Amino acid sequence: MSGFQDLLQFVFAGVTSGAIYALIALGFCVVHNTIGIVNFAQVDFVSLGGMFLFTGLYWSGLPMALALPGAVAGVTLVGIVVERLGVRPSRSQNHLVLIFLTIGISIILRGIMKLVWGKNRMAVPPLAGEEPLRIAGAAILPQAVAILIITAIAIGLLVIFFRGTRLGLCMRAVASNQTAASVVGIPVGRVKAASFALAGGLGGLAGVLVTPITTLSYDVGVMLGLKGFAAAILGGFGSFPGAVLGGVMLGLLESLSAGYWSSAYKDVAAFVVLLLVLFVRPKGLLGK
Amino acid sequence: MKRMNRLTAVAVALMLVFAGSSAAAEDAIKIGAFFDLSGPAAFIGTPTRLVADMVVDKINKAGGVNGKPIQLIIGDTEGDPAKAVNIAKKFIYKDKVAAIIGPTRTGTGMAVKKIIHSGQVPTFMTVGGDPVIMGGEKLGPFDWVFKSPQRSSVAVKRLYMYLQEKGLTKIALLTASDGFGKDGGRWLTKLAPEFGIEVVAQEAFGPKDTDMTAQLTNAKNAGPNALVVWTIGPAGSIVSKNKAQLGIDLPLFQCHGLPDPKYIELAGKASEGDRMPATKLMVVDALPDTDPQKPVIEEFIRLYTDVYGYDKQFPINTHSGYAWDAIMMVANAMKQAGINADDLRAAIEQTKGYVGVSGIYNITPEDHNGLDVDSMVIVQVKGGKFVMVE
Repeated sequence: MSGFQDLLQFVFAGVTSGAIYALIALGFCVVHNTIGIVNFAQVDFVSLGGMFLFTGLYWSGLPMALALPGAVAGVTLVGIVVERLGVRPSRSQNHLVLIFLTIGISIILRGIMKLVWGKNRMAVPPLAGEEPLRIAGAAILPQAVAILIITAIAIGLLVIFFRGTRLGLCMRAVASNQTAASVVGIPVGRVKAASFALAGGLGGLAGVLVTPITTLSYDVGVMLGLKGFAAAILGGFGSFPGAVLGGVMLGLLESLSAGYWSSAYKDVAAFVVLLLVLFVRPKGLLGK
Repeated sequence: MKRMNRLTAVAVALMLVFAGSSAAAEDAIKIGAFFDLSGPAAFIGTPTRLVADMVVDKINKAGGVNGKPIQLIIGDTEGDPAKAVNIAKKFIYKDKVAAIIGPTRTGTGMAVKKIIHSGQVPTFMTVGGDPVIMGGEKLGPFDWVFKSPQRSSVAVKRLYMYLQEKGLTKIALLTASDGFGKDGGRWLTKLAPEFGIEVVAQEAFGPKDTDMTAQLTNAKNAGPNALVVWTIGPAGSIVSKNKAQLGIDLPLFQCHGLPDPKYIELAGKASEGDRMPATKLMVVDALPDTDPQKPVIEEFIRLYTDVYGYDKQFPINTHSGYAWDAIMMVANAMKQAGINADDLRAAIEQTKGYVGVSGIYNITPEDHNGLDVDSMVIVQVKGGKFVMVE
């Protein structure tokens, strides 16, 4: 095996992990851009996406083409419910209060998933087939490529949505100044519900795409959430292209240090680089 | 006022209920049982707890221990060493239990080892790693700690015996970076020379990692003729899948923690041909009728699947029997020696020839596990099932 082939394989490994981190980072960014908080329940939206897909496929016997959008729609609905029953009744604009609320909601959601789906691990079939793509002797799963492509499409749509549509502009207005937004007649409550719906949808999408690679369990989102969160910060919290850049960079850092230095200390290497980047650019790579 | 009365009524009712239960518990023998009922190892801890309930039911239906029923007090460690320590202290100083079963993982086991030593309560752990029953300056005394799963070193020896027999003497190791994986890694490197095995590469991965192709690439480049992986949980399945993805044509060996139908389910077709050491529980049908363990295992499976129906959520795996064996041995020792802590500890330490689900235990003061390589077989994934090799 040549050195180039190894390098390519390490890059593919990094891109596979990185695509997963990026998609989860994206979910964190959406809520941050619309409500201005870190939504810790985001990680459970990811697990829920996988759970709904699993349920659709094996309990109801739906084909993939129906189960997948169904799962995403289901989590979107959960996002709305979380906003209506969990966040709104607090009637608070204090970010710290809202963040703590999302932590509580996250624990509740995980408890419900534990009761409904049990604690055992589950396998979810991939969207794009199991046969790896071989490029110059190195192999990558089609699912990882699919994740990257769909993440890119999602970012394009999000940018159009936030810049060009009425609802998207309303969300940005609410995020920047809630009082002023309601003064000019924006229905703040409905806009907030819509942003949680969007966050739920993105989390659910991440769940259905990521769990075929990671395997599914009620706490799978939490395990990936930390890395996704780190990726979001590395890229600049709130920036969509930053989320992808941060995710892929974190994945590449891990796999290249595992490949060329030491697999036992790959996380150390990745997080030391993350700290160094934040020393130089405290707002992250693409942060504003 | 009316509301007040209702509250009082509820309070009185609650008091009656609790008074009743504590009166009933007076003459029961209390055993503390704490496992990972949530957290990353919940898929091991939860069925362990179910089996604990099952075996206590069985003992109580057969008349209990010297006429007294056993009462389990359950705790959830959440896989967190600090929580495990709190629960252990509660068991020892508040509940005043006669014995403790659990916890589930090597890390939590090590955290409570000291507490148990100072509290002097016989404890039968269901953890995988060896340090809980190893002494010395660094690891502390283990007088009060026993463990029912085979030692990592025993599983390593059993695996190396097989590798030596097959002439697979150049191996690459991939071990998890948690307590269990590190323990396995230590024994794998230490015991290799005894079996004429050369470790040509040693790679590590996080138990929550989602891609191990970088490690596998380096392992393969070292030119081994077999891969040995040491981890529990889904990471093992991901290694198997990644190996197939890279098209690496080397035999893959997993540790004794993975013989579990879930492994095959998660890894899919990639797992075909993978081999690993397992307890005889996994291949009971292949055992000869002369095997003394066969009737014990068959009864265990009958209770587990037919009577309690646990297999619907947790198909039987290699971990299933460990809580059974732990509680049985503690109960047997209680029947002989009563529940005085010193006597009970001594009696457990003298357990000889106990035929259990996971092996035939012969515990000594030096060996607080009591199982040797003959308690394990090598199983292989064939046609989506585990079958015995040889």
